[in-house]
Order: sequence, then C-alpha cells, then structure tokens
Amino acid sequence: MPSGLQISRRGLLIGSAAATGVMVRGLAVSQADQTKDERVPVIDCHAHLFHPSRADHLEMDRRLIEAADKLGIDRLCCSILTPKRPATVEGFRECNRALVAAIERYPDRILGYSYVNPGFSREAVQEIRRCVLDHGFIGVKLYNEHVCTDPIVAPVIEAAIELRVPILHHAGRIHHPFPQQPNISDGGDLAELGQRYPEARLICAHIGGGGDWEWTIKALRHARNVYLDTSGSVTDEGMIELAARTVGVDRLLFGCDMSMTAGVGKMVSADLSAEEKRKILGENMLQLLAMRS
Amino acid sequence: MLFDVNAYLGHFAFRQLRHNTADGLLRQMDAKGIERALVSSASAITYRNAQSGNEELEEAVRGHRDRLIPLAVINPAYAGWEDDLKICCDQFGIRGLRLYPKWHHYELTDARAQQLIAAATELHLLVSIPIRVEDYRQRSWLVDVPDIPLAEIAELVKSHPKARFLLVNGMGYSRSPLGRDSERLPANYWIEISRISALLNNELGQLLTNLGPDRLVFGTGMPFKYPDPPLLKLEVLDAPGEFKDRIRGRNAAELLGS
Repeated sequence: MPSGLQISRRGLLIGSAAATGVMVRGLAVSQADQTKDERVPVIDCHAHLFHPSRADHLEMDRRLIEAADKLGIDRLCCSILTPKRPATVEGFRECNRALVAAIERYPDRILGYSYVNPGFSREAVQEIRRCVLDHGFIGVKLYNEHVCTDPIVAPVIEAAIELRVPILHHAGRIHHPFPQQPNISDGGDLAELGQRYPEARLICAHIGGGGDWEWTIKALRHARNVYLDTSGSVTDEGMIELAARTVGVDRLLFGCDMSMTAGVGKMVSADLSAEEKRKILGENMLQLLAMRS
Repeated sequence: MLFDVNAYLGHFAFRQLRHNTADGLLRQMDAKGIERALVSSASAITYRNAQSGNEELEEAVRGHRDRLIPLAVINPAYAGWEDDLKICCDQFGIRGLRLYPKWHHYELTDARAQQLIAAATELHLLVSIPIRVEDYRQRSWLVDVPDIPLAEIAELVKSHPKARFLLVNGMGYSRSPLGRDSERLPANYWIEISRISALLNNELGQLLTNLGPDRLVFGTGMPFKYPDPPLLKLEVLDAPGEFKDRIRGRNAAELLGS
C-alpha cells in the first residue's frame, strides 16, 4: 500500500486543509473549543469524482476540491460511477483506475470507495480486494444494480467484512413507482442485510436524496450496524434532528453527495450540540476507518 | 439586510413543520439575522378552500406586519376567488399572491388563471410561483403533483409583460429561456436562490452573468427548509459585495417598494 494512503486517526488529523483556516462559520463554531491537534477532521462520507469520459473531468474534480476548501471539508470519500448502469466489469474497473489516479493527484483530500456491480460476484470481489489491499481504498460503493438483500450480493458483503471496510449503499424509499431504478434498496432492506451480517458496517446513503426520509430513519432505528449519511439535495427542516433522536448521533455520518451547500448547510442549521455535530462531521467516520488499522 | 422572499406559516398536510407560527418563524429569522420575510399560508396548499389559509395567515401576522409581509394563496379554479382576492387586498393588506397551479389543478394558460394574473397586475401585486413544494421523490402515496415546467413559466412571463413574477423553489433556470438573456424575455421576473447551486456547476454565477445582479433574491423556504444552505450560497458565491447585497435584500426591498 502506498504510504501516503495509509489511513489512521492521526493521519487524518494532521495537515487538514480546513485546519489552516478556510472554514465557514457554522462548521467552525462546532469545533471552536478544540486545539489544532484535537480537532476532528470534517469528512464528507459520500462524494463522487467525475468519470474520465467527460472532457472536463479534471477541472470538475478540481472544483470539488475547491468547494471542499470553501466549506471547510477536509476529506472526501469518493467513488466514480459508470455513466451507464448496470456497470460492466470493465466499466467498474475503469472507474476505480480513474479513482486511483485522482487520489494520486489529491492524496491528502480524497479517500476511495471501490465501486462494483455485485452481479459479477467473482470479478467484483477481486476488484474490491485489489482496490483495498493495493491502493488503500477505504470502502465499497454499491449502487442499484441489485437490491442489497439479493443473495447475489452476499460475496461482496463478505469480502467487505473480511477486509474490514464499510459499504456505502445507494438507497431510497419512494412511494410512487420509480421505473428508473427497479432494484433500488431502501432503509428496510439495509436493516435486514445488517441483521444477516452483524459484522458488516453498512452506510445507508443520502437521507436527503432518497425520498421519504422519515420512513428511512424509522426503518433504521434498530439496525445497530447500519449508519445513515446526511447527504443529498433535500434540506427539509428537522431531518437531522429526527435522525439524531431516532437512529442516534453515533450512527450518523456527514455527507454532501455533491450538493455541497445543502450538505453543509443542514448541519449548520441542525439544532444539535457541538459535541453531537463533531461526531457526525468526522468522529464517527474516523471510527469506521479505524476498523482497517 | 437580509430579506427572505420565501417563507411560510401554518401546516403542511404531509409532514410536520416546526417553527411554523409567527413567533417561531421570527425566532428563526432573528437567529439568522433575517430582517423581513414574505410569508404565505402552507395550509392553503392543500386546503380545498385556500381562503381559510389566508384568514389564518392574516391573524398570525397581525402585530408583526413590520417584519412578516403576507402573500395570499388564491386558487382561480375555486368558487369565489374574486371575492377572496378583494378581501385579501382590502382587508388583509396583502402585497402579492402565491399560486399553486399543479396542486390546485389548473393550468397557468387557463382563462381563469390569466384573469387572476391580469387582476394582480392591475392591483400591483407580486405573483409568486413556487416551482415545487417538496422534492418529487418524497411525495406521499396520495398525491402525484409534478413540478411546474420552467417552459410554462417562460410562456407566462412573456404573455404578461406588465406583471411582476417571483419564482421560488426552482433550479435549472440556466438551461431554460428564463436564465438566458438572449431569449429576450421581459425583465419582469425575479428568481429566488434557495435551490440554485453556487459551487461546482455554479448556476448562481451563470445567472448573475446572464441576467445581472438585479434579478436574484434571497429566500430560505422556512419552515419547510433549513435556513443555512442559502446563506452559505451567498457566503461562497464568487461575486462582488455589491451584487451580494442586492441578492441579500436590496432587490426584494425595491420589488416591494420599501
């Protein structure tokens, strides 16, 4: 594993861009009483870089880093998805190769999720192992190729358990037919998967981008190994507080999913204590990352 | 001075709203340094008789008129809307309308909607149109209300050049005639920024370039929405301070003539 990509709590605490002072007022307030060494980095647990087929992908990646700088986000946990899905084997391999190159461009800022289509079990597991063991990726990203409880997904879940990395799973609960995503998982599916695999660490994606967020929060109340990410463009008042009361602040992870001011703004507005915000903004993700070390 | 052109009081049928009384909203405004707000009834979105919501709003803002400026929700497809409009103007002192064509089951091109907009123009009332109420992915199983296509709004502003339209809860203007100066629409509409990006593809910057600084206005969507996302947009927006001041409140104040 390249040394620059080693993940440790200390590594994440040192040399953060936001610690140098580029920080919006709200996030700064939540850590105002921390010394530089104690300060927890702000980690966006759900971000994406741009696919290399896009002519301006390098410029857009640069803009993402610039946006993170402006908003006080230290680290971005990123995946790259195929433009068309379901992803082919070569398709997800290409995405992960591009992500390795991006991490080399921004070694202090980007952490990688290995994106795979679990329908190709053998190749998907090989790819995850390659990404985590050879390139220091911190997790697995699954999209909507298969509902997460489909037995075909099991080898990928078991590989993530063996490698001690979390799985960020696209999810949504939409009450109307959603033909674009027939195999989308919801919070209930992830809760069931979490019960089947208590050793797994699952992240239910984008509370603010997955339809009925109240449904999702309630579905995850008892799912002790399922985390919930706060990302998405929806900024409904009360969302973060309900999640904190129901799921608990220890299982919430800050994220933007590219809706940058929405992601940060809802955390600034949320009526939670500074300590609760620190957990969500970085401490909880640090603990997940520490599983590897 | 921050002027929020997109605020509400009352209840919404499909989700509990907090801070939805005048006192609650004012506390939120104080916490964020927002001086004044245009408010309308959230309840009137799903009341069959929207005028009941306007009556509740009038009672709620009484005593707070220096900070909470009421807009009336008028449904031109419902009996007696002309009487409701007259009461809202003469007795409630409203400064504009909020229209929900998709929720209230009429088209903006209908004769009755055209008649309402003509009446509002005559009365110097703003016509505020929310492009959506909530994200389409979280609609209740009971309703299937689409967003208003921006193309419909573009036709509307063109056909009523003397009306003044305030578009809230929208995005994607830069891909529509509304966000492109070259389309030569009349300069009779203002765009509220709460859903418009200020980073990455930076639609806000594109709109500033295309429309100039006089046509964008600050709004939060409270109490449906958290107030900080649009505040952050202003903070990170790469634009001169004078432009930001216009968006924060000067444009809205001029629009209201105050």
